[in-house]
Amino acid sequence: MSADVTLQGLPLRAEGITAGYGGDPVIRGITVRADPGQVVSLVGPNGSGKSTLLKSLVGIVRVSPGTVTVGGNQVTNMAPEEIARAGVGYVPQVDDVFGPLTVRENLEMGGYLLPRGEVAGRIDKVLTVFPRLAGMAGRSAGKLSGGERKMLAMGRVLMLDPGLFLLDEPTANLAPAIAVALLEEHVRGLAASGAAVLIVEQRAKAVLAISDHTYVLGGGEVRMEGTPAELSASPEFIESFLGGRPRPVGSAEG
Amino acid sequence: MTLFLASIGFGLVTASVLAIASVGFTLQFGVTDVLNLAYGAIMILGAFVAYLLNENGISVWFGLLAAMAACSVVSVLLNGVVYTPFQRRGASPTTMVIVSLGMTLIIEFGVEAVAGGVPVSYTMGNGPTFTAGGLTLTGVQLVIMALAVATMAGVHVLLRYTKLGKAMRATAANRNLARNCGIRTGRVIAATWALSGALCGLAGTVFAIDAGSFDATSTDVFLVLILAAVFLGGPGQPYGAMLGALVIGLATEVSAVFIPADYKYVIAFVALLVMLGVRPTGLLGERV
Amino acid sequence: MNSFYVINLLVYAAVDAMACLGLNQQFGVAGVTNFGFIIFQAAGGYAAAILALPADSANGGFQSYIGGWGLPFPLPWLGAAVAGGLVALPFAFLFGRRLRGDFAAVGLLVTAVLLNLLVTNYRPFLNGDAGLSLIPTPLRGQNMFSTEPLSYEWGFAIGTIILTVCVFAFLRRLTESPYGRSLRAMRDNDVVADSLGKNLLSMRTAMLVTGGAVAGLSGGILVTYITTWSPAAWGYAETVVLFAAVIIGGAGNQWGAILGAALVPVGFEEVTRYIPTSNNLPPNLIPSLEWVAIGVLIIGFLWFRPQGVLPERKRVIAVGAPAGARDTRWRAWAAPAARRATGWQRDATPPLSVPETREVGGDGKRQNASGASPQPVPQPTAGEGERARWDSGSPGSAEPADAVVLEAAGLSREFGGVRAVNDVSFVVRQGTLTGLIGPNGAGKSTLLAMLAGTLPASAGKVLYLGDDVTSLAAFRRARIGLVRTFQLASEFKRLTVMENLVSSVQRNRGDSFFGAMGGRRYWGADERAAVARASALLERFGLTDYANNYAGDLSGGQRRLVEIMRALMAQPRMLLLDEPMAGVHPRLARRIGNELVALCAEGMTILMVEHELAIMDEFCDPVVVMAEGAVLAEGTMQQLRGRQEVVEAYLVG
Repeated sequence: MSADVTLQGLPLRAEGITAGYGGDPVIRGITVRADPGQVVSLVGPNGSGKSTLLKSLVGIVRVSPGTVTVGGNQVTNMAPEEIARAGVGYVPQVDDVFGPLTVRENLEMGGYLLPRGEVAGRIDKVLTVFPRLAGMAGRSAGKLSGGERKMLAMGRVLMLDPGLFLLDEPTANLAPAIAVALLEEHVRGLAASGAAVLIVEQRAKAVLAISDHTYVLGGGEVRMEGTPAELSASPEFIESFLGGRPRPVGSAEG
Repeated sequence: MTLFLASIGFGLVTASVLAIASVGFTLQFGVTDVLNLAYGAIMILGAFVAYLLNENGISVWFGLLAAMAACSVVSVLLNGVVYTPFQRRGASPTTMVIVSLGMTLIIEFGVEAVAGGVPVSYTMGNGPTFTAGGLTLTGVQLVIMALAVATMAGVHVLLRYTKLGKAMRATAANRNLARNCGIRTGRVIAATWALSGALCGLAGTVFAIDAGSFDATSTDVFLVLILAAVFLGGPGQPYGAMLGALVIGLATEVSAVFIPADYKYVIAFVALLVMLGVRPTGLLGERV
Repeated sequence: MNSFYVINLLVYAAVDAMACLGLNQQFGVAGVTNFGFIIFQAAGGYAAAILALPADSANGGFQSYIGGWGLPFPLPWLGAAVAGGLVALPFAFLFGRRLRGDFAAVGLLVTAVLLNLLVTNYRPFLNGDAGLSLIPTPLRGQNMFSTEPLSYEWGFAIGTIILTVCVFAFLRRLTESPYGRSLRAMRDNDVVADSLGKNLLSMRTAMLVTGGAVAGLSGGILVTYITTWSPAAWGYAETVVLFAAVIIGGAGNQWGAILGAALVPVGFEEVTRYIPTSNNLPPNLIPSLEWVAIGVLIIGFLWFRPQGVLPERKRVIAVGAPAGARDTRWRAWAAPAARRATGWQRDATPPLSVPETREVGGDGKRQNASGASPQPVPQPTAGEGERARWDSGSPGSAEPADAVVLEAAGLSREFGGVRAVNDVSFVVRQGTLTGLIGPNGAGKSTLLAMLAGTLPASAGKVLYLGDDVTSLAAFRRARIGLVRTFQLASEFKRLTVMENLVSSVQRNRGDSFFGAMGGRRYWGADERAAVARASALLERFGLTDYANNYAGDLSGGQRRLVEIMRALMAQPRMLLLDEPMAGVHPRLARRIGNELVALCAEGMTILMVEHELAIMDEFCDPVVVMAEGAVLAEGTMQQLRGRQEVVEAYLVG
C-alpha cells in the first residue's frame, strides 16, 4: 500500500449490538472497538454472527438495540450510502464487485463521491497498489478470477481512502498463498497508513498474525478477546473456537 | 421483390418505435426488478397528451416533448407511490404483476374515459417521400427512424460515459454495493424511471404517428412486441433490447409477406414464449 | 324489476360464481397462478357451441366452423367441461418449470392473447372475429327465447344454480380433505411439500384439469344461454376481472369466490343500470370508469386487505389422543434432567419409559402409541415384541445395531467449474446421531441436499438401506423414509401447527384426488390416527397450546420445533437435519438436542449439519468433519479436537 496516503483514521465504537433478520436476533449484546492504525479481527465458527455484525455496522441489517459510532459520530441504523459518506469503507463477502461493469468503471464507482478531477489520479494510485488490475482495466469484472475480484473489491474501497475499513472474509475462496499475501501486504498496510481496520475472517491463524486485537465470536456473542499473543497462549482459545464451554468476556487480561 | 423491400421498410420503422419503447422498458426492469406491464398504457397516455396539444394547433413534434415530460412524471410517481411500497412489503413477483395489471387498467381506461373510445389521428403531414433502391419511405418515417437512432446513441453515451449512467448500471447490477460506494440509489432509481418514462412518452407518440389512427387500447398488442424484444435480448439489458427490437420489428413485418397479414404478430408472440421457456435470460443477458 | 331481468341476473351470477370457484381452486387453494384461465372457459364455450350447432352449412351457411354435430342436451355441456379439462393439460408442463412467477404470468397472459388472435383470424376454425351465433338452447333446439311464459327460462336459471351448487360441493369435498391440505401446503411452500413426499406435478395437473373443467362448464352454460360466443368475450381483460373477483372476495375461501363474483363481474354490470344516463356524457365513459374502478379495487385490496373480504378460514382440528392413551405417552423430560445432573455422559442410554402398545401395527410408530385407533393404517403387521420396526418391507429381520443406513459413495457436485463437494464417501450407521461439521464453504449443506435428493449429484452414489437412490426424486426418497429438514423458515405459514404436522403423514387415504372424493367416511380413520400422533408429538414438545395457531405466527424457536415434529410425522427411518439449532436460544437448542438423542435411542438414525460445535460435543457421535468439499476426519468431538488437521481446518479456514 503506497505510503503517501495519510489517512485520517476513524475510530469505531460498537456497543451492545443486537441485530437479526427479523425474528430472533442473530447477534446479542456485542461490543467491539477499533482504533486508527489498528487491525482488529473477528474470528469464530460460521453461524457465530460475524457477517451479520459487519452488516449491522454499515446499515444493511437493523440494529436494535445498540449504538455504532464512527469517528465520534453516531451512525446507528443510518442508510448505507450515508455511512459510506461518513468515511466507512465496506467490502462484503460475496457480491463484492459490479459484474457487468469494467474494472475501471468499478473503480470509478468506488470514487463516486470524489470531485471529478481527482478520480483519474486516484485510480492510478490504486492500480499501483494492485498492478495486476492495470492490465485489465477494460475487462468486465464478472470475468475476473476469484483473486482478481478480491483485489478489485479492495481497490474499489480504497478509492475513497476511508478512515475505517470493514472487511468481510476477504480471503474466502482464495488460494492460501494469495490469502496470506493479501492479509500481510494489503490489510496490514491499510492500518499502517493510519486507518482503522475491522476484519472478519475464517482463517483464524493467518489473521491473528496481522492483528493487534482479536474478538472470538460464538453463538452470536463475544466469547473471548485479547491480543494474538494472549489468545495463542491460552488453551481456552482453541476450545472456545471449537465449541468448548464459553468463558466470560474479559477474563483474558490485556 | 418490391413487396419484400417495402416490408423491410415497414420493419425498420416498427423496429425504430419498438427500440425506443423496449430500451425504456428494460431500463425499468433492470433497476427495480419489476415488469411494468402498465408501460403500454403510459405510452398511449403520452400519445394522447400530444394529441391534446395537437388539437389546439400545436405541432405534434412539440407535443412529443410534452408527452415525454408527462410520461416521465407519471413513471416516477408510479414507481415511487405504487411499486416501491409493495416491494418494501415483500410482495412476490406474481403479486407485482397483478399490481401492474391493476395500474394498466387505471391508466389505460382513465385515458379512455377522458379521451373517449373513438379512434383519433394527429393533424400532420407525411412530408416528402424518398425512394432509394426500391425502398420508399415518407419523411415522417425517416424522422422516426432518426429519432430512434438518436435515442439509442443518447442512451449509449449516457450509460457508458456519464457518471449518472454508470451509477444506473451499478445500481442495477448490485444495489447494496452501490450504496456502499455512497451512491444515493433512491435518486438514481428515480432518475432511471424519469428517463425511461421519457422514452415511454416518446415511443407512445411515435407509435401513434406511425399507426395513423389510435385509441386508448392501441398499445395492448404492442406491449407484447415490447416484451418479445426485451426477452429476446435479455431482461434488463439495454443493448439486448435494441437488438431484440430490430429482430422483432423486421421479423413481424417481413413475415407479413409470406403469411396473411393478420398473423404477422404471431411471430413475436411465439418468440416471446420460446424465450421464456428456453432461455429467460435472453440472448445477451446473464441476469435473472 | 321484471322476471326476465332477475333470470338474467341469476344465470350470469351462477356462471360467474362457477368460474370464480374454479379459479379459486387453482389460485387460492393450490397456488397455481394461471393467468391463462380464460382460455379454459373459452374452450368450454366453443366446445358446447360446436357440439350443439348443426353443420356449418346450415342457417344459410354464413358461419364456418369445425364440428357442428347438432348434439342434444346435455352433451354440449358435458363436452364443454371435458374440453376445458383437456385444454388445461398442456399447461401442466408450464408450471413445472422453475420460472419466476412474474415471467410465468406474462407467458400465460401472452398465450391467452395469442390464442385469441389465432381464433380471431383463422375463420374456418371457429368463425373468427364474428364468432358463433344461433347456438341452440338446451332441450329446445330452437334458438329463440320466448317472451311469455318464462317457465323455460326459469328452469334454465334454476338448473344453472343447481349446477353451481354441485360444483361448490364437489370442490369443497376436494379441499376439506387431506388432499386439500396438501394442496394448500404446496401453495405455501412447494419445495418443502416436495421434500415431504408430495407429488407436485400430479397435484398441479389435477388442479389445472379440475379448474379447467369447471371453467369449461361455465363457458358452455353461458354460451347456450346467450346463444353467441366470440373472441371479444374472452380477452385478457376478462382474466383480470376474474382474478380481481377472487382476490377481492377472498382467495382460498369458496364463499369468497362467490362473493367476489357477485361484487365484481355481476356487481359492476348491475351498478351501471342505476347510474343515470345523460346525453352530455360520452357513451363510453361509464364502462371506462368501471375498468378504472376495478384497477383501483385490485390495488386497494392488495394493499389494505390482501386476504380479501372473506379470508381463508382457519381449519381448527381438535387436539387430543383418544382416552386411554395417556399413560403411554413419552415421559422424555425425566431423562434429560437426570442427564444434566450427572454431566455429559453420552455413553449412558437415557432411561426412557417405553409405552406398552408402541408397536401397534408394527409400522414403527415409536413416538406415540395412541395407536388406539381402531382401524390401523394398512401396513404389514410385525406383531408384538418388535422394537421400533420401520416399514422397510422386510418385517421379520431385526437390524443389527451398526447396520449402515445411509452411504455416500464418491459423491461429487460440480457447479460452474467449482467442486463444492469432492469425492465424499462415508457411512451413517443405524441409531446414531451423526454430526456433520466444517468451516464455511466446506460443502456440508450441498452434501446434505444431494443425500436428500434436492440437488442432483454430479458424480457418485447415494445408497439408502443398500439401495441406490441417487436418481430418485426427493419426494420419493421421503416416501421411503429418508426425510430432510430445511435451514430457513419452511413451515407452511397459512396452515395451523396441527395441519403442518398432519400434512406430513405419508399414508393417508385421503391424500389423493380420488381419495378425497371418497369423503370423510373413506379417510376419516386415517385422519384420526394422524391427528392422534400429532397430538402426542405436540405434547412431547410442549406445543399443545399452539396447535391451532397459524404456523407463521410462532416464534423462531417454536417454528424450529414444528419443523422437526413435522419431519417426525413423516415416519422417517433416517432424518437429515440442516442446522436445526441455527439462531435458536441455547436452552431450546439443548432441549432439541435431548429429543434427538432420545429418538436415536428408539431406533431413528439422524445426520445433522450444525455449526455450533458445543452441540456436537454434547449430543453427536460420531462427527464427520468436512473441509473444502472433502471429508477430513471422523470421530467424537473430543477426539477431533485433539487432531491437528481438524484444528487447522477451523483455524485456517
